[in-house]
Formats: sequence, structure tokens, C-alpha cells
Amino acid sequence: MDPQATIVLGKAIGAGLAMIGAAGGGIGIGLSVGGAVQAMGRNPDHTPTIQTNMILGVAFAEAVAIYALVVSLIILFVLN
Amino acid sequence: MNSFWNGKRRYVALLLFLAGVFVALEVPPVIPFIQLPGENLPAGYNIPFTDIRITNTLVAAVIVWLLLLLFLVYIARRRPSDGSEVPPGGFYNMFEALYEGLMGFIGGIAGGPHFRLIFNMFMTIFLIVLLSNWMSLVPGIDTVGFIHPHVKEKYDVEKDEYKVITTDGFEIYQGFLGISYVNGQCNWISPADEAAADATALAAAEAARAAAEQDLLVEAAYDRYKAAHDGHGDDAGGESSGDAHAEDDHAPAVAESDAAAAAYDEVLAARVAEKQARADRGCYTGVAVSPWQDGYIAADDKAKKAPIPLHPDPSSDEAKRVPWVVLPWVRVASTDLNMTLTLAIIAVVMVQYVGVKALGIGYFTKFFNFATLFKSPLGGIDVAVGLLELIGDFAKILSFSFRLLGAMFAGAILLFVMSFLVPILPWPFFILEFFVGAIQALVFALLTAIFMQLATISHHHDDDHDHAEAH
Repeated sequence: MDPQATIVLGKAIGAGLAMIGAAGGGIGIGLSVGGAVQAMGRNPDHTPTIQTNMILGVAFAEAVAIYALVVSLIILFVLN
Repeated sequence: MNSFWNGKRRYVALLLFLAGVFVALEVPPVIPFIQLPGENLPAGYNIPFTDIRITNTLVAAVIVWLLLLLFLVYIARRRPSDGSEVPPGGFYNMFEALYEGLMGFIGGIAGGPHFRLIFNMFMTIFLIVLLSNWMSLVPGIDTVGFIHPHVKEKYDVEKDEYKVITTDGFEIYQGFLGISYVNGQCNWISPADEAAADATALAAAEAARAAAEQDLLVEAAYDRYKAAHDGHGDDAGGESSGDAHAEDDHAPAVAESDAAAAAYDEVLAARVAEKQARADRGCYTGVAVSPWQDGYIAADDKAKKAPIPLHPDPSSDEAKRVPWVVLPWVRVASTDLNMTLTLAIIAVVMVQYVGVKALGIGYFTKFFNFATLFKSPLGGIDVAVGLLELIGDFAKILSFSFRLLGAMFAGAILLFVMSFLVPILPWPFFILEFFVGAIQALVFALLTAIFMQLATISHHHDDDHDHAEAH
């Protein structure tokens, strides 16, 4: 097999595998937003506080997915 | 002014949309060329009196600093010195509302004796990161810059200078967002690979010729054998068969050379056609006209070593040797690890600073907790936990820097790719990036504030309290 094609193949597969980590971030965001929506339904008066904390929690959960994204970006664009 | 624009803004939006359609049709978008590290500006753009090259992300960072400076000067001038009320309205009012809101927010999290320090740190980081992130929404940033050959700069240690050499294979460099200028349709093939492909074609041609010759020889031998056999078997036609034999002997010799040469040419013609097709698209196809001539590889080696100027005339033959990309003048600072890592180190150092300020030298017992090692049966666990805290503080640097870098770099790529896929309507993604930039700035600054607040709390005090309660 052409060595360059092998490299491209390996990079693509590796980047795709690295993005599996984004599933964790997705689950976390789903849980936190689900909890926040329930809380907002129970006491709508506290919506602003809940919303702020929800967005922060979502950002932290998203960060985990972003680590996976960084790894796959490094595989794609930095590794030679 | 206001009455003039009432009800007319929608037409401005429509006009912009139509302009987007026109531009997308007139100037087809190109696949972006993406590179993670910040690009060096071309030779000559050094930090004065040093050899350190300026990167385009540094340009963006300096712009952010200057904007913040202007902003602070404006706020300070606008604020009355006698403490009287400022008439509401305008930018100052908006900033005051933001400032007060964030002050209340941080006051709820870190409203202790170190509130001023924590809030100052929070606000500084928040404003710097916010401005950096929102720069990716400004037209022209990341997209306008030097048209640059798709080549690599290399530092020559012996001559102590930067050299520009052609790239080969995967050693591709320069250009965050690539607009291929001359050779957009070329897959860059290095001279070495070209030579290898030529050698392969040559070998295949030789093999084809040898095979053709072999076939002809076998055929001729078979003919000769058959003729001899026939001659031997049939005595009556002996003379005529001898004539035929002589003719057969002669004819294959001509056919042999013709067929072998044809096979040779046929195989090489495919390679020639391939190179010609690339040349027709304006791609670099090597130096010598006939690649299978002996001089080719030597000439190509020479061309490989010949430096290409950073700004060759696009119409020259020299320019055709390389593909071209854009090296943006300004690239969003937070897409460079240097910027985010620096901010992360500053944040973590400030966490240690406020910890020492609040708890004195005893703050470090958080990391090196040998006090209970021989007193309590679980003292060893305390030591391990302290060391884990130490590792955790280093991990904070990594998580801070990679979170911001990942979010903003991915956002930049998202904008490029969407501008490429839907050139007419990429703006929903700009709105998304607006929020992502704000949230990431808030998260970075807020985490700093929270960690600083946590560092001011003494764990020992809690332990003693628990002990007292237990007793």
C-alpha cells in the first residue's frame, strides 16, 4: 500500500476514534439540561439562576468533548 | 436618522443577502487549508532588534491589548471624578450594567476578604478572552493576508538564516485559511515522488518491452520449430518450405523491434499524458521535458534546493512550481496555544498567590501534608491526597488552555467550513460563535475565580473543627 495513503488512513481513523470522547460530553449536557428544565418547571421564579448555572455546567461538560476534539484536531493537522 | 431607518432595515438585510449570493457565485469559495500552530509572518517581520519572528496570532493579541487600553481610557475619562451620577446611555452605561452584574455574580461566589483581588483577576481575564474570541467574527480576520507560496521556511543553522524551501510529501506549511491562488487544482507532488513515479513508469516500460521481445522470440522459435518440423515431415515441399523459413526468419526481426518499441511507448505515453494533464492545469510537473532522460533527476535536485522567494511574481514560471495559500495578517489569538497556555499559567499562579496571601506559608501543606503521617493511621492517604492536589494544579493549566484553544479553534474551523459549504448563509454559525466566545470567556474567568476562592479556604481549619467536634 502507498505509504502516504496509509498515513492518511491512519490519521482519519484515529481522528474518528478520538471523537468518541464527545459522547461523554453529550451525555453530560443532556443530563444537566434535563435537570435544569425540570427545576425550571417546578419553580419558574428561579429560572435566571438555574439558567446561568445550567449554561456553566453545559460549558464544563462541553469542555470534555472539546478535549476529544483537540486530540482529533492535533491528529489531523499537526501530526505529519 | 431613526425615522429614516424605521422599517427599512429589512431591505438592508435583503441587500446584504443578495450581495452574498452574488459574491458566492462570482468568487467560488475554496476548501480551507487548516493549520493548528500560529503562522510566522514572512521574513522581515521580526520583533525589532531580535531574530524572533512575529506570528499573526501575536498581532491579534496586541490588537486586543490596544483595544482594552483604549476602552479603559474611555471608561476612566467618562467616569466623573467627584462621584456624581453619570447620565445614563451609551456604551458606558452598558459596561456599567455588565460590570455590576458580574460583580454581584462573583460576590455570590467569592465574596470574602479577597474579593477585590479575585474580581480584578476575573474581570481582566474575562475582558481579554472575550475580546480575543469575538475577533473571529470580524470580517477580514483569518481571511485576508499575504498570498503566500505553499512552501516551508527552514532555519539554516550553518548560515544562521531562514531559508524557504519547497515542501515535499506531508511537510506542508503556511496558511491558516488557504485560498489556492495559482495552482488550486494541484495535488502537490514532491520532486522526489515525481522522480519515483517516472522511474516506476520507466521500469514498467522496460518490462513491457522485454515481455514483448520475449513473446516475439518464443513465437519466432515456435515458428522456426514448426517450419522445420513441417519441412522434415513433408519431403515434397522441401524447397518452398525452405523459402518460407527464410522469410519467417527475416520478418519477425522487423516485427520484433516495432512491437517492442510500441509496447514501450504505450506504457510511457500514459505517464506523459498524466504529466501533461497536470501541466495543463498549471501544476508543477518537474523541470526537464522528458522525465526519463538521464539529466532529469539531477536537474530536479538542483531545483529542489533552489530557494523560492517569499513573494515570487505570480505570472513567473517560478511561481508555478508551488501551490499558493493565504497567510492571514491577523488570526484570532485564542486559536494559538501560546496565548491560552500563558493565560492558564497566569491564572494558576494567581491561584497559588491568593492562597499564600490568605493562609501564609501554611498554604503549601495542602500539597505536602506530612502533619498527620505518623499521628493518624490514615496519614499516608493524606500525603497521597496532597500530591494528587499538586498534580491537579498542573492539570488545571492543561485543562484551562486546551478548553479555550479547542473551543475557539473548532469554532474558527466551523466558520471556514460553513463559509465553504453554504457561502450564502453562514451567519447562523456566526451567532453561535458569538455565544460560544462569550461563554468560553466566562467559563475561563469564572473557573479562575472559583479556584482562587477555594485556595483561600483552609482545609486544616475544617479538620481541626471536625476533631474538636469528635472530641
